[in-house]
Amino acid sequence: MESVSPLYSLSAEVRYAPPWQDLSIIGIAGSSGSGKSSVAMEIVKSLNLPWVVILVMDSFYKTLTSEQHHKAHANEYDFDCPESIDFDVLVETLRDLKKGKKANIPIYSFTEHQRQPNTTALYSPRVMILEGILALHDPRIVEMLDVKIFVEADMDICLGRRILRDVRERGRDIEGIIKQWFEFVKPSYTRFVEPQRHISDIIIPRGIENTTAIDMVVKHIQRKLQEKSDNHTEALRNLGLIAAEVELPSNVHVLPSTPQFIGMNTILQTPETEQEDYIFYFDRLVSILIEKALDMTSYVSANVETPQGNTYAGLHPKGIVSAVAILRGGSCMETALKRSIPDCITGRVLIQTNESNDEPELHYLKLPSQIEEHATVILMDSQMSSGGAALMAVRVLIDHGVEQGKIVFVTCAAGERGLKRLTAVYPRINVIVGRIEEEGEPRWIEKRYFGC
Amino acid sequence: MASKETGPSPAQGVGPLYRPDGEKPTATVSKEVSYENVHVLPQTPQLIALLTMIRDKRTSRADFIFYSNRIIRLLVEEGLNHLPVVEQSITTPVGRSYLGVKFEGKICGVSIMRAGEAMEQGLRDCCRSVRIGKILIQRDEETCMPKLFYDKLPTDIADRWVLLLDPMFATGGSATLAVETLIERGVPEHRILFLNLIASPSGVAEFAEKFPKLRVVTSFIDQGLDEKKYIIPGLGDFGDRYYSM
Repeated sequence: MESVSPLYSLSAEVRYAPPWQDLSIIGIAGSSGSGKSSVAMEIVKSLNLPWVVILVMDSFYKTLTSEQHHKAHANEYDFDCPESIDFDVLVETLRDLKKGKKANIPIYSFTEHQRQPNTTALYSPRVMILEGILALHDPRIVEMLDVKIFVEADMDICLGRRILRDVRERGRDIEGIIKQWFEFVKPSYTRFVEPQRHISDIIIPRGIENTTAIDMVVKHIQRKLQEKSDNHTEALRNLGLIAAEVELPSNVHVLPSTPQFIGMNTILQTPETEQEDYIFYFDRLVSILIEKALDMTSYVSANVETPQGNTYAGLHPKGIVSAVAILRGGSCMETALKRSIPDCITGRVLIQTNESNDEPELHYLKLPSQIEEHATVILMDSQMSSGGAALMAVRVLIDHGVEQGKIVFVTCAAGERGLKRLTAVYPRINVIVGRIEEEGEPRWIEKRYFGC
Repeated sequence: MASKETGPSPAQGVGPLYRPDGEKPTATVSKEVSYENVHVLPQTPQLIALLTMIRDKRTSRADFIFYSNRIIRLLVEEGLNHLPVVEQSITTPVGRSYLGVKFEGKICGVSIMRAGEAMEQGLRDCCRSVRIGKILIQRDEETCMPKLFYDKLPTDIADRWVLLLDPMFATGGSATLAVETLIERGVPEHRILFLNLIASPSGVAEFAEKFPKLRVVTSFIDQGLDEKKYIIPGLGDFGDRYYSM
């Protein structure tokens, strides 16, 4: 499947690394009730960015056998020793995330003491905080951590907090909590938790009250994020330089300049065109692009019988054609899409370009389930200039299991450099372009379509 | 002509250009005719799949309507490209200049009742407020020749480009009479565009020779006609399948 023809030999070196490929992980360990999660939440709150997430190690508790389950209910099961946590799965998950892949986080039910059948998908964070009493326990994890934090608090305070939390949030009774504390939590603290202190980079006493320490960590993360953002922008710029030297490849299909097409493009680019007319001609033009995109999907031979009993050797489309709109621009194209496929399964990704450094940023993602099985995924954006958002969106699809060859990127107008850059990185995708625009054209089509 | 009529339709691999020939599924494509004024839509896999849907007798009426409308829109888009335009230079919203074109000339649609009326929606999808005239032609019981029963056309039709609509073109009797009617009303032959879904090779050849300045845009030239003068393989009675079956 991965046979790459010699034509594409250049592309082997042309790679696009999204900012989430190089994930930074911050581990926060500490005794139960020491305030780890408050510290983690405080850090996330101060950063206030969508790509900083917290991963709680509680999600990785092992499912209990019925015998263990009984013990747990009698408060006789040790949840504080390393054996209770499925470190192998956790390590696998972290490795996937580190590579920029999507990971499925298990959901653990504290009442049933088992993993739920469903999982939460975690994708594309740039910074992740791993929080758990034993976050710094497994050397395989420690190796992946960028910062190792140990939160410390007086043991009396820890017990007090634990009682409050377990009674309020987990429906336990006080006697059971205290029994568990002295039988498991405290011994385990001395054996497993406390030793992590020695390998940590920062020890935060008094948890959340320690604003100086939290501030330090926040500053560190901000520096990391800035670095990642700079690297990303730099990488995009370099891709542009490589792309400038090559010809527009054959998998880029620019619509022929028919009189109607130029005429529609003229109306669409005339500032005096009324809003109503703009929408009409835009939808009409995009309908043609979508029909063209459907030529790229898979078909199989099919014999059908006509009402008079004659046979016709025709074709049937094979498999599902779905679409993903790059918001906001791509959503202009949905009306036209639905003219050809009224019930088209449609996903969305919100990618915004940061105005200060031209860096595309992934803010939101909702893809159809089983998208990897669809025959064709039409990726839509009304306009593409440098191609940063498209590069990122294609990468998102690939990370979700969609093969390159099944992706058709459709856009009304694109700059040549951006197209070359996109196809240099992804030589097997198909691209349908309405019109080649001048380099560096700002995004205006979506503003015109939506009227704001 | 007779041998051409009964000959088989060409079958070929149909698929996207980027795919090697061996990987394209085989399907029957349109016959070719060598008349300059006959334009057959590119035989893309997408078009063949749409035609397959509307030819299939198991296709429901709702689907028949949906898929024929999609082909009709492709026909209209192709047809409109034969209309004149004039150069027009504009300044875009971002202050750049663009050398574009402006549509020239007024148009109108004329549907041959009843099947041609089924193409009006597709026409309106591309040309919003287009005027549409109608022509009713029926077979005269006595002479067995097509006869004009009714027509209602825009008064200024002589000044317009006419998109004449009829989905099925077998012997071309009605279409010929419709064109003669339009010419009588003062529409120059070269300003008539005949939009059609499926045509017979003999019918379209005769028509193209009779009206050399008129343009035919069709999506498919079928294998031929049977003894009852039905198009084969065809798709049955278009009007019935669109309106009532």
